[in-house]
Amino acid sequence: MNSRERVLTALAHKEPDRVPFDLGGTVLTGINVKAYLALRNYLGLPRVEPVICDTIQQLARVDDDVIERLKVDVRRLAPQSPSHFHLEIKDTEDGQYTYCYDEFQIGRRKPKVGGLYYDMFHFPLSGNISESDAERFPLPDGADPTRLIGVEKSAKKILTKEKRALVMGNMSGGIFELFLWMRSFNDGFTDLVSKPALAQKLLRRYTDIQLAYWGKVFGALGDSVDVVHMADDFSGQDAMLISPSSYRRYLKPLHKEMFDYIHSHSRAKIFFHSCGAIRKVIPDLIEIGLDIINPVQVNAAGMDSAELKREYGKDLTFWGGGVDTQRAFDASHTPQEVREDVKRRLHDLMPGGGFVFATVHNIQGNVPPENIMAMWETLQEYGVYSR
Amino acid sequence: MEKVLEQIIDGIVKFDQDSIQERVKEALAAGINPQKILNEGMIVAMGKVGKLFEEGEYFLPEMLVAAMTMQKGLEVIQPLLMKSGVKSAGKIVLGTVKGDLHDVGKNLVGMMLKGAGFDVIDVGVDVTPEKFVEVLQDNKDAKILALSALLTTTMPNMKTTIDAVKRAGLRSKLKVMVGGAPLNETYAKEIGADGYAPDASRAVGVAKTLVG
Repeated sequence: MNSRERVLTALAHKEPDRVPFDLGGTVLTGINVKAYLALRNYLGLPRVEPVICDTIQQLARVDDDVIERLKVDVRRLAPQSPSHFHLEIKDTEDGQYTYCYDEFQIGRRKPKVGGLYYDMFHFPLSGNISESDAERFPLPDGADPTRLIGVEKSAKKILTKEKRALVMGNMSGGIFELFLWMRSFNDGFTDLVSKPALAQKLLRRYTDIQLAYWGKVFGALGDSVDVVHMADDFSGQDAMLISPSSYRRYLKPLHKEMFDYIHSHSRAKIFFHSCGAIRKVIPDLIEIGLDIINPVQVNAAGMDSAELKREYGKDLTFWGGGVDTQRAFDASHTPQEVREDVKRRLHDLMPGGGFVFATVHNIQGNVPPENIMAMWETLQEYGVYSR
Repeated sequence: MEKVLEQIIDGIVKFDQDSIQERVKEALAAGINPQKILNEGMIVAMGKVGKLFEEGEYFLPEMLVAAMTMQKGLEVIQPLLMKSGVKSAGKIVLGTVKGDLHDVGKNLVGMMLKGAGFDVIDVGVDVTPEKFVEVLQDNKDAKILALSALLTTTMPNMKTTIDAVKRAGLRSKLKVMVGGAPLNETYAKEIGADGYAPDASRAVGVAKTLVG
């Protein structure tokens, strides 16, 4: 069984030979550059100049030798920046931060000392804006074909030579994420209560550019795409940040429109990332046709891996949840603790297929290689289906 | 209870941002003193909002808009409260720790604490331990240091901050409370904090307990 067959079998809710493994297949199942270099060093792999595949989260591209060594079953195919846009990274005048503006004009900065991520500081649509401001503000063209230069060739290599499953990346964050990142968190959240029409106008525009993007993707790649990557975060650790009724009012119809579009234009399964305590809207996501949920934040309220599998396992594939990144994985935990957690998650999530192993969100910068390998070895040992 | 106080409470709970200042002015015109408007109007309203949040009826957007509504009302009475020399519930120095730029939770906690009668000094985000120490030295009457972090990678800076405060000889006079998504009670104890709250609503209760 090759990697692609392994993944497709799991996605069809059947048991492959072993649980498929993802590292770097999305920018939400990746690895921070600091942890990545430590891992390479620990594995005795040659020194490389790491390629940052996600500036904001400082994720390293996982190189071929690591993919081979760790038997990764998934490959990410990502759009590039459109030809007219180039992400420029500069230093602030006081020398405290590096910063950049993305193609949506969202500004982010990272502390030069000890900073692990770029966090937002400039929200281009924040403040007291009108609906016509929201309508007129220039947004990137999702259908810009220069985003997809070279993808056909890369897809062919992944599918025919490597025989791995192909995950197609999105052009940006999700529609609600873009809304908050452009409006600012404070203004975006309060719009849901105070300015519903403004919120709806912006969410509609983000949906339209993403639909245009997926149209181009399927035009170029057609049935080569195994999985499409989508995301929208709207929850915290203990509860959703917005109410389930706000989800149903503002986001669900637009998510459905995008899911329907993808399903009717491809045979790809939809991978949807949504952090935190999302239990209350999982049935809504299933209703609108979701295939795969990520990151399965197993320590958030209502997100126990055994319960989720029991309740939603026949409808959803769990892609993530393999190890509790917050509470069992970083340097304050022993490899033995990691093993125990991984065993528990495998036990909960692997029966019957419908599970792709990945950490809960990216491997953070403070995870030592010993713990990453304890996770991986446990997966090799216990992630095998009996024939 | 006076009808106008009920209207103030109702206005905050139902996010009536446009008329809250009118209602507060009406209350003042009716001879209700600002302290009473704060205690029996706004604080009661925010208590109700907090309860709706804990019951899963209100979420972050509703909390934020209610707190903003309250803040608007507070603007009307704050100068009067100052003039009449009303004692605040206590001074709190608040900020997000070094390396962390997240402020929605911190700001909401700040508004809720103000709404509960505390005097809040918000130091901002990505605040170094040295900066917290400096602000505490300038505010020797502060009763609470409130620290926020959203990331597992930055929450250790809460301990670094507490340690710096200790070294500066300021810890014994202060209570420290912490909050942020990845935290829990156990972690708060481990790093030597005196209080932990899982959300902005409960942060008020914790602050009240800490100042006794």
